[in-house]
Amino acid sequence: MLENTPAITARPGLIDTDVHNAFANVREELRPYLSRAWQAYADYHGILMPGTGYNSSVGVQREDARTPSGAMAGSDPDFMITDHLDRFGIDFAILTGSHVLGISVHTDPDWGNAVATAYNRNLAERWLGRSPRFRGSIVVNHSDPEAAAREIRRCAPDKRFVQVLMASGSSRLFGQRFFHPIFEAASEYNLPVAVHPGTEGAGTAGAPTPAGRPTRYFEWHNIVPLNFMGHINSLVCEGAFEKFPQLRFVAVEGGLAWLPQLMWRMDKNYKALRSEVPWLRKLPSQYIRDHVFVTTQPVEEPEKSSHFLQILEMINAPGNIMYSSDYPHWDFDNPRMTLQFLPKEWKQRIFHDNAAALYGLAARSA
Amino acid sequence: MHRYPVMKESDLPPGSRKLVHVAGVEIGLFNVAGKVHAYRNVCPHGGAPVCLGKITGTTLPSRVYEYDYGLDGCILRCPWHGWEFDLRTGEHLVDPATRLKKIPVESGGDAAASLENLERFPVESEGGLLCVVLPGGKAGGPS
Repeated sequence: MLENTPAITARPGLIDTDVHNAFANVREELRPYLSRAWQAYADYHGILMPGTGYNSSVGVQREDARTPSGAMAGSDPDFMITDHLDRFGIDFAILTGSHVLGISVHTDPDWGNAVATAYNRNLAERWLGRSPRFRGSIVVNHSDPEAAAREIRRCAPDKRFVQVLMASGSSRLFGQRFFHPIFEAASEYNLPVAVHPGTEGAGTAGAPTPAGRPTRYFEWHNIVPLNFMGHINSLVCEGAFEKFPQLRFVAVEGGLAWLPQLMWRMDKNYKALRSEVPWLRKLPSQYIRDHVFVTTQPVEEPEKSSHFLQILEMINAPGNIMYSSDYPHWDFDNPRMTLQFLPKEWKQRIFHDNAAALYGLAARSA
Repeated sequence: MHRYPVMKESDLPPGSRKLVHVAGVEIGLFNVAGKVHAYRNVCPHGGAPVCLGKITGTTLPSRVYEYDYGLDGCILRCPWHGWEFDLRTGEHLVDPATRLKKIPVESGGDAAASLENLERFPVESEGGLLCVVLPGGKAGGPS
């Protein structure tokens, strides 16, 4: 079952694929990277992002992860190194940002584009230069794919950026041709395209479910995978992986236990409805195995851990699942406690090898 | 094995289909561009009367967002789930290992069988006969 996946390295290693760098004061920190016109806008409005209206009753930030000066959790690179990377022996942290993913669901694409560039410039200077263990995501505004593609091409030559990242909240499904300029640019640089939740139902995004809006944060958070299923279904059916054979799609923080259901339903329907998508050359589930990656947190926790293993077997994509902690957010998965029941070989892949292969990260020397 | 004459060749012109019952077996006969194919009327997927499905063409493998229609008259779409079978081979287009049960069909027929079994046929003297070949059993005409 585990063939055709990266070779196991000599040492365990640990790569965290969802770590949120943040801002103590987002306006002050992004302001130097905005044009004069957008500085004036930010001075008046702040770094304005649409909200979902859903607020966690335990807050989003871990209370214990505030910086020593009491600032926003995740806002101090040095403290993140000691509080998270050193504490758990993390070789690489894929930084996924804070606050700014809402640019893609803001009504004004020009504002979104301006913030994307400011964010990425700040990230490169303040974080990626601080430690080689920090690896960046090029944040793009998916509501303006041509501009997003330009931003990818601007940032990608800096190899400290290892993926493109955008909001999973959207008014359109990501397989649609509207978004193809993003995939084209990412493919040019062999960069995976990741999506992260948080904007479902915010701004111009569609409602979090096709039947409308959940009532509370708890309910909203439960159903985030629905949106991920929609996007992955769209990417496969629209032929995005045929048109862009290099494209890898990373579904961050959307769970994975729903994958068997999606794969089975897609494969069954394909046997009947193939003629609608004549550009597909293999079963839909195979496109998922070949192109879609998922991060673990918030990992499903069935009563019997053996059931989780059964799900992994059903998905049958041992190279596509990557550990993530979501540090410093409330639903953090501790790498020393999470998925410890996995057989050694699975642990090696999920906690290190799969991310190392996807992001081209060399294992730390022993 | 036994050969069962089922109809005159002229009753199954190109593009047409006939359903026959032979020795308790439902069989669909299809004339695809002059060549006759016969299949059991049971879909290997869900047991549907597959031979009653639409005879059509389909979209051929193509580039993304391109539509290239072809195989007109070669595709049988099952009436229940729409699975596409290539009438020339019986193979499902997605999974060729899933295939219709092919029944050997021969034209001509031997005179003895014809004499024995064609009493219920409105046989005319001219024109060849189509015979299906089924394993075992005694000779019998269409029921």
